[in-house]
Amino acid sequence: MILELVNDGIFAAIAAVGFGSISYPPKRAFKYIALLAAIGHALRFYLMHYLSMDIATASFFGSLLIGVAALWFGKVSHCPLTVLYIPALLPMIPGIYAYKSVFALVMLLNSLENQELAQQYVHEFMLNCTVTVSVVFMLAVGATSMIFLFPKKAYSMTRKNRIFVARKNEDGKITGFTE
Amino acid sequence: MKSEDELKEIAEFVGEYATCLLGSGVHTSRVMRNTARIGEALGVTTRISTSQKSVVLTISDSKRNVHTKVLTIPALPISFEYNSELSALSWEACDSHLSIDQLKERYYDILSRPKMRYYWILLLVGLANASFCRLFGGDWGAMGIVFVATVVGFFVRLILQKNHVNHFFIVTTSAFVSSMIASVSLLFDVTADIAIATSVLYLIPGVPIINGVIDIVEGHTLSGLSRLIQAVLLVICLAIGLSISLLLFKNSLL
Repeated sequence: MILELVNDGIFAAIAAVGFGSISYPPKRAFKYIALLAAIGHALRFYLMHYLSMDIATASFFGSLLIGVAALWFGKVSHCPLTVLYIPALLPMIPGIYAYKSVFALVMLLNSLENQELAQQYVHEFMLNCTVTVSVVFMLAVGATSMIFLFPKKAYSMTRKNRIFVARKNEDGKITGFTE
Repeated sequence: MKSEDELKEIAEFVGEYATCLLGSGVHTSRVMRNTARIGEALGVTTRISTSQKSVVLTISDSKRNVHTKVLTIPALPISFEYNSELSALSWEACDSHLSIDQLKERYYDILSRPKMRYYWILLLVGLANASFCRLFGGDWGAMGIVFVATVVGFFVRLILQKNHVNHFFIVTTSAFVSSMIASVSLLFDVTADIAIATSVLYLIPGVPIINGVIDIVEGHTLSGLSRLIQAVLLVICLAIGLSISLLLFKNSLL
């Protein structure tokens, strides 16, 4: 089982780094992107194959994990959240379902005379299209929810030197710090 | 209190900064926060209103001097590097109170940094799509074919981009080229349908899709929708390119 998960994670990491490189990420971000993609995809693999969860829910949890981890990695690497998690989400895009919908559409248009066959392809098209759209939606929402839950944290990732101002009470004693 | 010329200089810089960010695929609210931060560091108030193709920018100082500009957003390639470095620049401006000249110097310094070499990207994208094929259950033969299909398709895309061909046409053509090459797998005993399905996936516009969702949820509904519409159009173009190959080979796939 562990070997399978590691295998899955490694291929997801290569995929994420490669797809990410199309959008020119900063060099220091690559290792974090790879790690994020690996843990997210491995979690989805685990949920789908061992807990028999459906692909949309499993993708949601995978991308949620990516979002949480990106919050932490972003702080370490001073990269905005989106820079880290967009490439990491790409290996989870349900390509096979997307392909099947296009294939069903092409076949549908080719079998308009045959009522029964056409029905079957309409059904196939709707099914695959629905899965594709809902998985992509879940992926986007899962990772992005971290931005909405922790907006302050998410929006000061690239800040390098925080300035802390001492708060003092009337006696001149320091009671705390504010940014 | 700023003189007219100072305000104009600031407006020009902030305008260029904002359009550069928007052009290289940064979601709306980040651009708004970054520009507001830079304005604050320079002692002016900045307000921007954005749409898909243009930006309206107004800056004002404490004495009601106002300067407004309407700017066009250039079509730059998506760049996460600009996203993070320019965001960091806005924090730096805010924290260490940079002057406009220092800001400009650093801004152009970031823009002139060397980009990743094309052959590296080609190699990485090829490997990425091959591992993607693996994730969907493709075998080693299919992975090899997908690697070649991706590299050639991406190369076609780069060449067409260099010649400033219409973006939708680029996606359709590269999808067609990649899926045609991947159809070679029908001749061998490999997982052909998985190879064809994955060969075009490097064209998926992931950044606009996620930026669109972020924009919509944050209330920039119009920008979000226009990003999503743009992304859907690109996906349709991808599907058209793929369908041409499928039409040619559908009998052997069934």
